[in-house]
Amino acid sequence: MPAEFIRILIGLVAVAISVGLIGLVMVWVERKVAGHIQRRPGPYEVGPSGLLQPLADALKLVGKQLFMPDKADPILFWLAPVLSFLPVLLLFLPLPLGDGLYALDVNLGLLLILAFSGLAVLSLLLGGWASNNKYGLLGAARAVAQSVAYEIPLLLSVLAVSFVAGSLNLAEVVKGQGTWPWNWNIMTQPLAFLIYMVSALGETNRAPFDLPEAESELTAGFHTEYSGMGFGLFFLAEYANMVVVCAVATALFLGGWNGPVLPGPVWFVLKVSLLMLLMVFFRWTYPRVRFDQLLNINWKWLMPLAVLNLLATSFFVKLAQFTEVRW
Amino acid sequence: MDALLKGLPLDYLAACDFQKTGKTWQAILPAASLVRAAERLLAADYFVEDISALDCVEGYVVTYHFAHFHKPGRVALRVIAPHDAPSVPSIAGIFQGAEWHERETRDFHGVVFQGNPNFIPLLIDPDMADCFPLRKDPKSRARMRDILEAGEVVHCGPGFGLMTPDAPAEAQASSQSEAAAGDKATA
Amino acid sequence: MTHSALPDQVAGDFYTNNFAKNAQEGSLILNLGPQHPSTHGVLRVVVEMDGEYILRAEPVLGYLHRMHEKMAEVKTAAQFIPNMGRVDYGHALGWNWAFVGAVEKLAGIEVPERAEYVRVITCELNRLASHLLWWGAYLLDLGAFTPIMYAFDDREKILDILQAPTGSRLTYSYFRIGGVAKDLNEDCLSRIRAFIPWMRERLPMYKDLVSDNIILRKRIEGIGVIEPEVCRRFGATGPVIRGSGIAYDVRRSDPYSVYPKLDFEIPTSDLMDARGRYDVRIAEFEQSLRIIEQCLDMMPEGDVLVKGAPKPSWKAPKGEAYFAVEGARGKIGVYLVSDGGKNLYRTKLRAPGFCNLSLFAEVSRGTILADAVAILGSLDLIIPEIDR
Repeated sequence: MPAEFIRILIGLVAVAISVGLIGLVMVWVERKVAGHIQRRPGPYEVGPSGLLQPLADALKLVGKQLFMPDKADPILFWLAPVLSFLPVLLLFLPLPLGDGLYALDVNLGLLLILAFSGLAVLSLLLGGWASNNKYGLLGAARAVAQSVAYEIPLLLSVLAVSFVAGSLNLAEVVKGQGTWPWNWNIMTQPLAFLIYMVSALGETNRAPFDLPEAESELTAGFHTEYSGMGFGLFFLAEYANMVVVCAVATALFLGGWNGPVLPGPVWFVLKVSLLMLLMVFFRWTYPRVRFDQLLNINWKWLMPLAVLNLLATSFFVKLAQFTEVRW
Repeated sequence: MDALLKGLPLDYLAACDFQKTGKTWQAILPAASLVRAAERLLAADYFVEDISALDCVEGYVVTYHFAHFHKPGRVALRVIAPHDAPSVPSIAGIFQGAEWHERETRDFHGVVFQGNPNFIPLLIDPDMADCFPLRKDPKSRARMRDILEAGEVVHCGPGFGLMTPDAPAEAQASSQSEAAAGDKATA
Repeated sequence: MTHSALPDQVAGDFYTNNFAKNAQEGSLILNLGPQHPSTHGVLRVVVEMDGEYILRAEPVLGYLHRMHEKMAEVKTAAQFIPNMGRVDYGHALGWNWAFVGAVEKLAGIEVPERAEYVRVITCELNRLASHLLWWGAYLLDLGAFTPIMYAFDDREKILDILQAPTGSRLTYSYFRIGGVAKDLNEDCLSRIRAFIPWMRERLPMYKDLVSDNIILRKRIEGIGVIEPEVCRRFGATGPVIRGSGIAYDVRRSDPYSVYPKLDFEIPTSDLMDARGRYDVRIAEFEQSLRIIEQCLDMMPEGDVLVKGAPKPSWKAPKGEAYFAVEGARGKIGVYLVSDGGKNLYRTKLRAPGFCNLSLFAEVSRGTILADAVAILGSLDLIIPEIDR
């Protein structure tokens, strides 16, 4: 038991450090990619190729005064950013970077991730509600409607994969896949992958689904009133959530640490980075959808498709069990 | 235009040179017939270009410019609002776009448009909306006939001599001095 | 210090309270602006909302009101020209032209022919710059961050070209009563010639990358439908009314300068929605390029300023004049009255954006907030022009 405890402790520390680092790197990547998409260099003054720019930004954020609006609820107001950030750390624990390289070996790892990522909605709701700001309130209302809606197809597409793999343990799912791309789950479950990625954009409030913060409509939505590290924590949590959904996608669909030549963790990080880049590309190329369109995409397309996919998958899984034929 | 405004009580109607002043017709109306004139212009597919006021000796000359989407030219309707109680009926019920123009005219000259649905200050801060920046002091006011183009007169109402340059001097002078006296009294 | 400690403090200002008087039970009064990312400057719109739906909206103006019409009363006609560049920073030369055109009409001044061509070229270049600014900013409103950078890339080229003859990049005061301040030299003309094919190449790319994007189309199709009759009652002009299917353009309906000699079309769209207005402006890029191209070929040699052009101390003769030009946003009109004195007796500026914005309350009723932003952007508002 102590060994397990030490493992979790080391894992948590490593996760906390890496979340901070990922945040810094992602800010740099996002700005650099955005810059090049927009035909400008992006940050380049601070450090080589502007690598230290996010650090300077972070220092600035830490140094800023923390404001709270008049008549805001102080407890809820400051609880919200903390609440948005803390569960994210837990989400990293069951992620398998390589064979045996994870902080927490639970056979319900997938469930743990889905359960704790649900908490993020609560923090957005609290932040928007407690701000005593109408934009915040509208942003919070959007955030809840959106997250609740997109959680369902996300869950259904994940379930389809775990049906095939027969496990909710991420490491087990990865082990069920082979070295080469045609051995990965994306080949058997392409629709689930598509649904998962679209829902993931919705869950993480990334453009074109960034409705809760929709700058041109709601100024900054739920975090309109947050300054300094209050905003910083929301910001960090957003990037961390991105990493988590991309890591889960990698483990479920893209073969996790499986890959030729290079060691497992390298493959894992590479695949996650690729998905993250894809999300960054989306943000800087597409306009924002409208709120009713966002919900229509979910309820009219993703949901029915995800249900059909799940039914078909379970049918084939049963069929395979009956006929004892691996397919 | 002559046919369009037929039957309305008009003070003055003249054809103007578009090349010279940018309008084809101008009409000076008593305030009472403004709304009916606007209705006829609406029916004839005109639209409001702008509404402005001009502070003259005779009063605030509220000028409505109308243009047409398919015909060149411009029609100017003018209503003279007296300095002491400048009030003109609103045409915002006919041309909805006139609402803002009328509110702007109120801000600048203090002309009241009766019947405007939302008659609050538009461009000037409500706390200082009663300063009317474009009102002139009585000494520097000009007479209408001096600054406005007379045009080719088609109709001139009986007793209306404000636009006639060569009218008998005494009658005009007396009416102006009355107007001027009225101004001083209100000022 | 909390503000709630002050007992006599009333929440909301005059306009909010006035607006809230007619509010429904349980609705939310929201102030969009005067500081808001998509009100382009300092427009403020008070909206009454039921959830995401807008029940009522009322634009509140005046945050950029500078009373140009009063300034015209304390300056001579020639001294007032710099003001015109500041009325509408998007299409400053349109306003330059409307004012000097009105003065020329008032005083009967003939403009040399080369000056007319220079005016058309610079004015159309400025129109392109203005439309590019709108295009980028509109897509920013719709949540696309990248197009504005591309638009500014092109716009920068135009500003560089215009900088040489005008001496400024945004608030031009380039036109003079009786001509323009400076001729376009050979270097400038060759840069304009080089710009036309560059811009022509960019337009198909914009269409592929942006105009045909499914998300954009879903955002602007069927949004903010304005019937031609509504346009007329509100006095809307420019791309707003052409997007509703009426081919009204001052360059054709009340021709001025050398426009009658030029071959160009008035793009219209029967869609009547935000998409229609978008398409019209995109089509106008090509038409402006055509106009510039023809002018470059047809431009004669000669002076660009009439002999004995008015000096700052020049007094305008008695009389009145109304002159209108087609600006990037619609019909720009200047109405002048002079009593023969040192300064103009009355200057009335007709801003197209003012009339176009007055539509907004009518059109936005019953839409959702995101659509209201899309409609507001599709009207192409430049607030200093509206507030004057």
